[in-house]
Amino acid sequence: MVDIEIEIDGSVVHGHSGESIISIADREGIDIPRFCYHKKLSVAANCRMCLVDVEGNPKPQPACSTPASAGMRVHTNNEKAKASQKAVMEFLLINHPLDCPICDQGGECELQDVAMEYGSDVSKFNEGKRIVADKGIGALIQTDMTRCIHCTRCVRFGAEVAGIVEMGATGRGEELKIEPFLSEGIQSELSGNMIDVCPVGALTSKPFRYEVRSWQMNSVESVARHDLVGSNIFTQTHKGKVKRVVARDNESVNETWISDRDRFSYEGLTNENRALTPKIKVKGEWQEVSWEAALEAATSGIKKNSAEAFGALASKNATLEELYLLQKLTRGLGSENLDTRLDVANPSSTSALETTISLAELEAIDHALIVNSYLRLEQPMINHRIRKATLNGAKVSTVNSLTFDFNYRVANSVLSAPQNTLATLSGVLKALLEANSLALPDYLKDTKVDQAQIDIASTLSAAENAVVVLGEQVNSNPCADQVAKLVTQIAKASNSKTLNASATGNTLAAEKVSFKPNGGLNAAQMFTANLNTFVLLDVYPTYDCVDSTAAIEDLSRDDAFVVAINSFEDESVLGFADVILPLASFYETSGTHINIENVAQSYGASVKAAGDSKPGWKVLKVLADLLELPGFDYTDSPQVADDALSLSPNVATSEVDIIAMEVPNIATVWQYTPYASDVLTRHAQSLQQTQIGQISEAVVSAATAKILELSQGDCYKGVPVNINETVAEGCVFVHTNQARQR
Amino acid sequence: MISDKAKQQIDTWVAKYPAGCQSSAVMEALKIVQAENDGSLTSESIQAVADYLEMPVISAYEVATFYENYNHKPVGKHVIRFCHNISCMLNGADDLISYLETKTGVKIGEVSEDGLVSVKKVECLGACVGAPMFQIGDRYYENLTQQKIDEILDGLK
Repeated sequence: MVDIEIEIDGSVVHGHSGESIISIADREGIDIPRFCYHKKLSVAANCRMCLVDVEGNPKPQPACSTPASAGMRVHTNNEKAKASQKAVMEFLLINHPLDCPICDQGGECELQDVAMEYGSDVSKFNEGKRIVADKGIGALIQTDMTRCIHCTRCVRFGAEVAGIVEMGATGRGEELKIEPFLSEGIQSELSGNMIDVCPVGALTSKPFRYEVRSWQMNSVESVARHDLVGSNIFTQTHKGKVKRVVARDNESVNETWISDRDRFSYEGLTNENRALTPKIKVKGEWQEVSWEAALEAATSGIKKNSAEAFGALASKNATLEELYLLQKLTRGLGSENLDTRLDVANPSSTSALETTISLAELEAIDHALIVNSYLRLEQPMINHRIRKATLNGAKVSTVNSLTFDFNYRVANSVLSAPQNTLATLSGVLKALLEANSLALPDYLKDTKVDQAQIDIASTLSAAENAVVVLGEQVNSNPCADQVAKLVTQIAKASNSKTLNASATGNTLAAEKVSFKPNGGLNAAQMFTANLNTFVLLDVYPTYDCVDSTAAIEDLSRDDAFVVAINSFEDESVLGFADVILPLASFYETSGTHINIENVAQSYGASVKAAGDSKPGWKVLKVLADLLELPGFDYTDSPQVADDALSLSPNVATSEVDIIAMEVPNIATVWQYTPYASDVLTRHAQSLQQTQIGQISEAVVSAATAKILELSQGDCYKGVPVNINETVAEGCVFVHTNQARQR
Repeated sequence: MISDKAKQQIDTWVAKYPAGCQSSAVMEALKIVQAENDGSLTSESIQAVADYLEMPVISAYEVATFYENYNHKPVGKHVIRFCHNISCMLNGADDLISYLETKTGVKIGEVSEDGLVSVKKVECLGACVGAPMFQIGDRYYENLTQQKIDEILDGLK
């Protein structure tokens, strides 16, 4: 690219040869009105609002599609440019209803703003305006298509970013409409971004409809903590309630997009199941008490029992500060029983895999091998970066137990049940080593290699910038550590990077503060060790624990004293807990999220905590003080974060041997839909009504179904059975939003 | 949904484009499927074409709604496609369209009771030299008058 000089409105500015005039003007802070142009989307040049006068051209030129060339002299506001802009504005307003007073976009509307500056107070148009019937596109996006100005940003967003072409421009001329094919609802996990790109009030947030005027809200900078990216957001609040969440630009993290989960989960904050008051159980009856009385009850209960019989379990979505303080409290008491890995089949064999690639680097890869992951739904923003790479020609291979609906083409796809994953990956590794004439380790001597594995291996060795991604579903595999080791070896043999997406939320914060047993009991062991005291931090065993029935039974023992520091209450928590300390939820507490790049992003509270609930770091600090533990003299959460971030976690590098463990002949892979992945999203109603939110099926092949004596329509662990051949033999893939059953 | 015969016809069009560009054959595919479906398209048939050509269904739908050639409601055996653009309009197309409506008892966009004819207003068919004109099937009828329309209608079976 050549650096060129052009002149805009008399001032000399620099750009690259071929760069559009509008992008240079944007960088220089020169205003050019626009509707269809969006920096992250292709150029359509169909709204004509950005017409500017380019000297030497008889007609005005659209700034978005006119490439700059050296010496070009552009006028954005001379008489010719202004007359064109004004004329276009008049055309755009011909069919627009101008119902601004009842439009949710009012006050933050690009059409309103541009009309203010470039519009006329009189229209020459005396004919009737057209009206467009709304098809309805699901629970998240409200359509008012009469307001649409046909900029096609939403259409291009679907085709170019979301990767699912759902909206389209149908009909022609006066009949042109922006609509989906059928009104079944939009399927994309990124659909909410269409609301952000829509320059008018045609697409607005459905849960936010008629809630409050946009200018009455405060925008607070925050960070979403549902996934490994920590997308930057604004929480928009009014009278102490979060009314809406929108994306905040951060090129290195989430660019300008956020997932629907990050955007709409706030609805859960006002759910009726929130824990709002401190409670203690007296003779089997719950009594609402003061914080002092509840903390007193918790303290005396904890003091009664020995440290060896104390266990702490925390949610993966807890803040860094909460995790740090709870581990400090647990270790201060003298216990090493602490864990966040409740959903892992075998916590003593978790997938230790280092992430060696940044989000931006993902865009430059030429091959991705995705192991045990439905990345599109698990980590939407990471998947989005990989999709961008595929648009530049990157190939994707998968080793999964179910065929997933990725939003890019998958070149090599191997179906492999959990019990065969080690063999499959061993085959890939062996093919790689043999292709490069490298020495084979002992454990690969007897490994058989098939063509599919050779294909993956050859694509990997041909690639210069490959990444191997390990996903959530590995947690259903009792040999997760061996899978992780094979992934590491494959990456090493093919000179690829690795990305560990096997644990989501704020898992890296838990790693940072070593929120896992160092010689003590792990999550699974704690429920079989007859512990006397449990402290649960936002843990809901019905959803969170692999064997929820056993966990609840153990927590319900008469001699088990359970302190639940929870943001929500459910029947099981009310059943087994002895003290409930209501916890401030997302956006109600300050905190820190550590993302996949190990970047710590801190945020303040956006709203006051609901009811009598309190931020977790305060609750844990006071609890520690009452337990007379030293070192809890914190006055605000940044002090806690400073202490937590100064820790260097002891990365235990244990040698893993590849010896296939005993796995049942038929394995179960349990995966939650993204809208059942944590407690807040589970309580967000609109997300639950989407197509993704409604997924609940146990997919099984005909042959496996026969062995298990299942037929279509039966239930497997409480989930409806769906028999088809998209799933690996020898496993049941449960993809659901329901609580775990045996 | 799509018969084997229609698939063969579509395949000859797909073969005209480079590999992987099979969606370029969407216009012909829609035409073939429409012909097989008594002259009109349904949501199901558009979906079937999109599936067959491995393209997003909305993209096929965009094409099907953009061009006048595709019908989205059942049509008669003969579709009278009456031009109403400038040359035909100046030469009295509007009056002739009303005449046609009265004569056949079929309003624009509707089908006659016996299912024989339906009438559709279309954009310029490129036969301005013979305006006013309409098209039935593959044939253009030009320099229309009331008398000529009567004769053409009588000839329809």
